[in-house]
Amino acid sequence: MPQMIFDDTDGTLGLLRDSVATFATRFPGAQRLRQRRAAGTDLDREVWAGMAEAGWLGLTIPEELGGAGLGAREQSVLSEALGRELISEPLAFLAVFSGALLSEAEATVERERLINGLIDGSLIVSPAVQAANGSIAPIEASASGDGIKLSGEAHYVNAAASADEFLVLAAINDEQALVSVPAASAEISQRPTLDGSQLGKVSFSGVSVGADRVLAKGAAVDAAIEKAVASTRLALAAEMAGIASRELEITVEYTSQRVQFGKPIASFQVLQHKMVDMWADAEFACAAVVNACERLEEDDPKAATLAILAAKARAGDASVTVGRRAIHLHGAMGFTDECDIGHFMKRAVALNSALGQPEALRLEFVALERAA
Amino acid sequence: MAVQQRDWNAMPDEEFRRFFRNWLIENCPQELLFMRKQRPHYEEVKVFYHNLARDGFLAPLWPQEYGGMALNPTKHMIYVEEWARLGCPRIPDHGIGLTGPLLLHYGTEEQKQYFLPKIISGEHVWCQGYSEPGSGSDLASMRTSAVRDGDDYVINGQKIWTTLAHCANWILLLVRTDKEAKKPQQGISVLLVPLELPGVTVRPIPNLRQEADFCEVFFDNVRVPVSALVGEENQGWTLAKAVLGHERIFLGAPTRPEYALSRLQVLAEARGAFNDPAFVSRFAKLRLDVYDLGSAFERFAKVLRDGGELGPDVSVLKLFNTELYQRITEEMLAIVGEEARFNDDLEAGDTMIDAMNLYLDSRAPAIFGGSNEIQRNIMAKAVLRLPG
Repeated sequence: MPQMIFDDTDGTLGLLRDSVATFATRFPGAQRLRQRRAAGTDLDREVWAGMAEAGWLGLTIPEELGGAGLGAREQSVLSEALGRELISEPLAFLAVFSGALLSEAEATVERERLINGLIDGSLIVSPAVQAANGSIAPIEASASGDGIKLSGEAHYVNAAASADEFLVLAAINDEQALVSVPAASAEISQRPTLDGSQLGKVSFSGVSVGADRVLAKGAAVDAAIEKAVASTRLALAAEMAGIASRELEITVEYTSQRVQFGKPIASFQVLQHKMVDMWADAEFACAAVVNACERLEEDDPKAATLAILAAKARAGDASVTVGRRAIHLHGAMGFTDECDIGHFMKRAVALNSALGQPEALRLEFVALERAA
Repeated sequence: MAVQQRDWNAMPDEEFRRFFRNWLIENCPQELLFMRKQRPHYEEVKVFYHNLARDGFLAPLWPQEYGGMALNPTKHMIYVEEWARLGCPRIPDHGIGLTGPLLLHYGTEEQKQYFLPKIISGEHVWCQGYSEPGSGSDLASMRTSAVRDGDDYVINGQKIWTTLAHCANWILLLVRTDKEAKKPQQGISVLLVPLELPGVTVRPIPNLRQEADFCEVFFDNVRVPVSALVGEENQGWTLAKAVLGHERIFLGAPTRPEYALSRLQVLAEARGAFNDPAFVSRFAKLRLDVYDLGSAFERFAKVLRDGGELGPDVSVLKLFNTELYQRITEEMLAIVGEEARFNDDLEAGDTMIDAMNLYLDSRAPAIFGGSNEIQRNIMAKAVLRLPG
């Protein structure tokens, strides 16, 4: 069955996979997702604390900053495994995105406080950097004494109600700044998401933050955002590749034991061919993520960017379409809330929509490639 | 014959790549690059064929003692990549790729000594006699028979879709030698048959591109000595399946779709199609499909490089590749409007694009080498382990 194939000479990747499998016996993904949905919360604190304890939150944060200092391969294998288990806390945003932003930030006391809290799980640090149309866009701000004053909204904010701190992009005249803003100073409204969580709209009306909360300025902000978006897209791609693979496996198991007309329905050719196509989609998704990890290890930033765009588009399409077909092959059972398969598909749709749907990513790929 | 006997595998990969690329540039005649024809005839590529043979580059996988290069999978991959990248033509390769490996594995010493040098020299040009009018996807149901008569086999029946039979002088023939076998696969044998024998008739069949790539071959009481048998009698099915080996990966190499996409791009630039957002969207999908096919190809190539063996899952590349090739050529016709009615090539700035040629050509790969539906059947069983 599909899986990303990497060399694993020191066994790190195998250990990561094992630790996720063990984690999932403590915190079964689908069950915790339903609990969180029922509670109407945007973060499962117990699961999050477990992830911190497992050392996953600082996986790719450099060692000198207190993280594990691992790379894209390790993050991808972790995300793939989480996807397979439907463990759906927003690690891609609260750990990968925020972790990348903070790792790129200036070495200040505030940066140290935030990054330590992020890694040990004591602080929920959520990026609040998107406009209503989904683009990465700064909030209007003005100088205020030593610090800055923010007025505006950020959308699609993960764990907005649970967050302690937001990482906010601010535009003061022509210059951008990355600042940390206490969550308590913002007004938050939430909407339920397809994957049993909540996404927040975060409003700041004249919120002032001191100069000590400025994490980066000018060109460094663009560089940090670029890095964070790329790392998060890759993590999402890996998670969706994991989802696609698991959706296929569940469907193969189900159709092989479901008997109609005196035979397992998986023995019918029309179903077999559909499942082969689903398997192919999942295989291609895994291969695309592996390719992106390999390109990242080479010294060609453009090639790496292209590969990540391709991987997110491929894995997104795969996880969603394999999920839809999986529901269909489960028949009426697939349409129930009780059956897990639908939750995989809904999770896939949610992740596929985050930071660029496949069509947008493909257009970005072609525009970048043709702008040679 | 001054064949270079070098240990190619000892050469660093990039050095081998440069070396072979330069050799191809110097030894493949300019007019043969990026030929219209997918399957040129022996006569058309004879010069290139003999240059390859002269310098020992004709048989990348054969052992050196038989004039091969004995390349490991990584080097072989480079060999195939450079060949495709420069647009060198496919040569009639049934002798190199099919008869040769079969004899190397299962042939008698006498058969090897007689046949292999004649393949290398170009004296014997082989074709593959598998499909029959009633036995395409269900190949094991074949009925062309070989009956023992003293020291001979007497062959009767008909083969079809025999690629380049009219340019070949030998045929690797699957025949039924036991009509009573319990399973159809069990009564089949492999024979080496000269096409010049009395009773053999070869009739070319024009294809959709009005080219005669494939033929019908009729056998009317054709006599061959029992020494024409490869391996044991009635074991032919196993033999024929075993020689496929790791070369199946090349049915899925991204080179064909890459080439077609590059033609689409030239055509689209010349016609201003990139100003049309709807086209750009469709193009982007095709571009990413080609790109991701490259990633998937690498996933399987890595298995070979690491010394592993490929499983039946590698056929996924063939499925994706052949269906993608079709979609790219369909897009070529979609952007040229009324001009899609013409059979000849299309102008694109100062070049000509053979859109129609590619469009028609792209119908074939999804059918041959085991149709895509047969491939899906095989993968459903062998990869997904779905019940029968």
